[in-house]
Amino acid sequence: MDAAEVEFLAEKELVTIIPNFSLDKIYLIGGNLGPFNPGLPVDVPLWLAVNLKQRQKCRLLPPEWMDVEKLEQVRDQERKEETFTPVPSPYYMELTKLLLNHASDNIPKADEIRTLIKDLWDTRMAKLRVSADSFVRQQEAHAKLDNLTLMEINTSGAFLTQALNHMYKLRTNLQPSVSAQSQDF
Amino acid sequence: MPATQKPMRYGHTEGHTDVCFDDSGSCIVTCGSDGDVRIWEDLDDDDPKSINVGEKAFSCALKNGKLVTAVSNNTVQVHTFPEGVPDGILTRFTTNVNHVVFNKDGTKIAAGSSDFLVKVVEVMDNSQQKTFRGHDAPVLSLSFDPKDIFLASASCDGTVRVWDISDQTCAISWPLLQKCNDVVNAKSICRLAWQPKTGKLLAIPVEKSVKLYWRETWSNPFDLSDSSISQALNIVTWSPCGQYLAAGTINGLIVVWNVETKDCMERIKHEKGYAICGLSWHPACGQISYTDAQGNLGLLENVCDPSGKMSSNKVSSRVENDYNDLFDGDDASNAGDFLNDNAVEIPSFSKGIINEDEDDDDLMLTSGRTRQRNHILGDDENSADATVLQTGLFKEEKEDDQAGNIHSLPLIKSQRPFYDGPMPTPRQKPFQPSSTPLHLTHRFMVWNSIGIIRCYNDEQDNAIDVEFHDTSIHHATHLSNTLNYTVADLSHEAILLACESTDDLASKLHCLHFSSWDSSKEWVVDMPQSEDIEAICLGQGWVAAATSTLLLRLFTIGGVQKEVFCLPGPVVSMAGHGDQLFIVYHRGTGFDGDQCLGVQLLELGQKKKQILHGDPLPLTRKSYLTWVGFSAEGTPCYVDSEGCVRMLNRGLGNTWTPICNTREHCKGKSDHYWVVGIHENPQQLRCIPCKGSRFPPTLPRPAVAILAFKLPYCQVATEKGQMEEQFWRSVLLHNHLDYLAKNGYEYEESTKNQAIKEQQELLMKMLALSCKLEREFRCVELADLMTQNAVNLAIKYASRSRKLILAQKLSELAVEKAALLAATQAEEEEEEDFRKQLNAGYSNTATEWSQPKPRRQVEDDAEDRGENDDLEEHEVHKHGKMHFRASTNFSDTPTGKSSAVICSNQGRVNPFKVLVNSKEPAISANSTRSTNILDNMDKLSRKSTPLNRAANNEKSPVIKPLIPKPKSKQVSAASYFQKRTSQADKTEEIKEENPKIPTSETPAMSPQNSEHQRPKTGFQVWLEENRSHILSDNSDFSDEADIIKEGMVRFRALSAEERKAWNNKAKGETTSDGAEAKKRKRVVDESHETENQKEATKENLSLPKKQKALDLPANQKLSAFAFKQE
Repeated sequence: MDAAEVEFLAEKELVTIIPNFSLDKIYLIGGNLGPFNPGLPVDVPLWLAVNLKQRQKCRLLPPEWMDVEKLEQVRDQERKEETFTPVPSPYYMELTKLLLNHASDNIPKADEIRTLIKDLWDTRMAKLRVSADSFVRQQEAHAKLDNLTLMEINTSGAFLTQALNHMYKLRTNLQPSVSAQSQDF
Repeated sequence: MPATQKPMRYGHTEGHTDVCFDDSGSCIVTCGSDGDVRIWEDLDDDDPKSINVGEKAFSCALKNGKLVTAVSNNTVQVHTFPEGVPDGILTRFTTNVNHVVFNKDGTKIAAGSSDFLVKVVEVMDNSQQKTFRGHDAPVLSLSFDPKDIFLASASCDGTVRVWDISDQTCAISWPLLQKCNDVVNAKSICRLAWQPKTGKLLAIPVEKSVKLYWRETWSNPFDLSDSSISQALNIVTWSPCGQYLAAGTINGLIVVWNVETKDCMERIKHEKGYAICGLSWHPACGQISYTDAQGNLGLLENVCDPSGKMSSNKVSSRVENDYNDLFDGDDASNAGDFLNDNAVEIPSFSKGIINEDEDDDDLMLTSGRTRQRNHILGDDENSADATVLQTGLFKEEKEDDQAGNIHSLPLIKSQRPFYDGPMPTPRQKPFQPSSTPLHLTHRFMVWNSIGIIRCYNDEQDNAIDVEFHDTSIHHATHLSNTLNYTVADLSHEAILLACESTDDLASKLHCLHFSSWDSSKEWVVDMPQSEDIEAICLGQGWVAAATSTLLLRLFTIGGVQKEVFCLPGPVVSMAGHGDQLFIVYHRGTGFDGDQCLGVQLLELGQKKKQILHGDPLPLTRKSYLTWVGFSAEGTPCYVDSEGCVRMLNRGLGNTWTPICNTREHCKGKSDHYWVVGIHENPQQLRCIPCKGSRFPPTLPRPAVAILAFKLPYCQVATEKGQMEEQFWRSVLLHNHLDYLAKNGYEYEESTKNQAIKEQQELLMKMLALSCKLEREFRCVELADLMTQNAVNLAIKYASRSRKLILAQKLSELAVEKAALLAATQAEEEEEEDFRKQLNAGYSNTATEWSQPKPRRQVEDDAEDRGENDDLEEHEVHKHGKMHFRASTNFSDTPTGKSSAVICSNQGRVNPFKVLVNSKEPAISANSTRSTNILDNMDKLSRKSTPLNRAANNEKSPVIKPLIPKPKSKQVSAASYFQKRTSQADKTEEIKEENPKIPTSETPAMSPQNSEHQRPKTGFQVWLEENRSHILSDNSDFSDEADIIKEGMVRFRALSAEERKAWNNKAKGETTSDGAEAKKRKRVVDESHETENQKEATKENLSLPKKQKALDLPANQKLSAFAFKQE
């Protein structure tokens, strides 16, 4: 799975918009959306929100957690704890990216939020690398990682498993290799 | 280092004063004989905060944010500090309280009164009182032992006593002072004091020295004195550290001693030598504030304090400043916007009560007090005064209203102090709904369902931003605000702005009519000289502006001036919707925090009329109006400052019903919801949550939240209460449908049906619940609210649950309901008939018929004159009679209601099995074929409609004979006719022969009902056309059964073709007349063929009617003739 796919999944997340048009309920395979009343907040999937925003058909309301104070708390907590702490949204990274790229004018203190999310992300990725490192070093058989989001798993998951495979191959080849190599040559 | 004496300044009017510092020492609090408590941030504070506590304040004490004052109405009151909000009365005496003090931790106060008593009261619970009796004269002053064990008191009886607080006994008593008969004659007020912290020493000012006594032993180790003291000491007070003792004399000398060394540290002379009557140490640094008997305030700095802690004082006062700012910026200013403005000038008398007798510079302080007391504010002790009567009156009133007054005091502090009755409330200022206060630099001028108008008024820019929720209405607009517009409104047609007049410019009304199709989209109107626009609103195609001269000016949206009329009072707010204009104004002056508002509701459409004629607008107690407007469906609503949303209940004589309390949804006490709109379908209260304020800021842009409605019904926790609330909410919020229908607006039929369905379902649930609870009477009451259809279901339910009595009651109810329904319909029909007749030339009968007679009389007339055809008038009666005959022919006539009546009558025996029978195909076929529109029979369910319709299409005009024995009320009428016509007898016989047929009648109830609900069936359409006629003609019939008959008869009297036509019309199959005629004929033939033998007789009767005639009465006359021939 690549990042684009993860982002695609994240686009199903509901966000609140304030439309500036009027439309009855729309019936889609994924469920019904609307009705859209001008000036009244309504929950729509992210993909629709971004689309409407691009066409200037709505104003976005930032999710509740997308607030400088709350994110500072989360970041500090993340830095303090050894393990991964719960994140405000399972798609926090994707949501932040999309919302800030397309609707930064509707989100107060967008730059600070971007920085905070980046900090949070970096902290978590560092933790992930450290834990992968110790996992490999200590040749553990299994590890438990809670509170990881899909995007985070996706960044190192494929690489890590492949690396482990390689290492496994190398290791298993290590003992019999003496004879095997001798056979080859 | 000697203390620095700051110049004295005016604090209060002449007379006794008291002074203390607050806990942090950041402000000085004084009270005086003008009844005010003033809070000074420092001596240079030019605008001290004033709290009016009574007519005169004798003593005050402050601790833990509680300000306790002894006031001349013989009470000890508590106010909050620094707000000064009255917080209750701690205790009462029979006469003046002379001194009040807190104990060390502020949990208790002690008060000494001129009625010889000393009381100790818990501050938090004033029921915990201890009374100390023993003094034989007025108590002068008191002091709490810092350990809370003893209480010292000085009295005019010459003694100083120490009391044990726990058992209220006198621990010791010293005869130290000069005896006198009253406080005013006492040489010294003898303010004694315990040493703080340890309480080891008690200091008592006696003559020219301070006597100190040990605790417990009560021995007098030493006195403090100084050669400079030439007059008696009035007051002593300890420094907070307990090291120094300050004393003030009656000639204005302040002396400070170091108690340990007994050295005199300071000697300060009052500028003018007035008696020192208040003396207080700063809690932290070496400051003494003092007041004299002439109301002046002074301050000594660096007293016994070499280092000088001036800075700390400054800091703390700055902190206090900030705190005050915060407070001001918040709620207080908020409410002030509406209330405490120049809108009303309340005359202030407080300054006027000065003792103008003479300048008594050389008088003793005490005599000064006497004079004031003898003044018009006479107290109990001066009971001989001529003014006593007046005072007494006020006192009585005050005692009654004490509870009420106490909260309203902050609003009315500027009022005259000697009137304690209900206080007038300042009138709230005019406002635009959904606007934020004017003084804000960024504010909302309006936020409604159309859009938002914001106003920016800062240094660089003065502009107005208009934004539409729906960008398809109009694009966002930016206007420069050079004229300083202050009020605005927005509709889907126009933007309306108005400004007040300035020195050189008149007040202007500016309309940006963006939906105009021509090129000039703006107009401006100047108001006449000295007339300011106070409120504006937009409706559909009109503009209204209320001005300061109590005029309401109407304009068209294009700028044409229309009506001008006078408002009954100063406008508060206005709202417009469609043709409706909703005005709220001041009807008068409210009292005790209430506003006194009136409301007018006008319709400015084709037929201009006033719906609400200046009725009082109900508001929550002590609240003011914060929002007025219409729901999206056009029902007037308003919101008061307590968050209560009320809606006009058009279904109950235009009363107001509370539909939501936004405060219930608030999390915090200072949170509010700022209402921006109300929708009835779906039920939504659109508002903006505001944390810690009443209105939202413009940035960050607030989001709308939706609250649900909830009527304040009792016991909504129970299932019953819940359903009742739901039911009445549904009823209330669908009133607008009736209103729309009545006023010829379009609305969705489906909404109404859905509402009815919802309501009936709720009623059924409630009925089932009551049934379960064995509350059968309640069941019947509930059934009374149901539609016919639901009642039938209820009967079914009752019988299934084996409640036969209930079932019977319900069926009786069903009969009554049917009768009632028929009555209204019959009235309408009749009205129609008669109007037609009148039009046809029977104008001489107009008077008679326009004054409807009792039904019975009409019938009698008909009978009496039946044979005399000569007179035209008789024709009219005959016409009526003919109807009766028709009904007798089809005696069981299944016109809507009567069949239902009959069926339910039958149903008493076994009303439910019949239904089962009706399912038999033969019978149902029979009914389908033979019934007319009114008695298509089927089950109760709505599914039957298609069948009914089909039946209606083909049905023959002939009425199938049904039950011959109408019971109860109908009996007389029915039998009367049966005797007269052979036809009726025949049908009856036939029916008896055919016992099965009656069974099929029961189902008749439902189709008819469904027809009533579904106005698109033929009968309904016809009814709608004829409703008004019938109504007017039969309005006063008392006998419902007769009215039913009448109603049925009218419809029956139509020829088959016509009934057919109505049916077709209902289905929208209106074809051209020619084509229809043929069609009708064919149908008629068909119907003839299908008729049963028993119906044949009647068919003959109906034949004449079939002769097509455009003139209905003529046709009817013909048929009547045919009847006669038989």
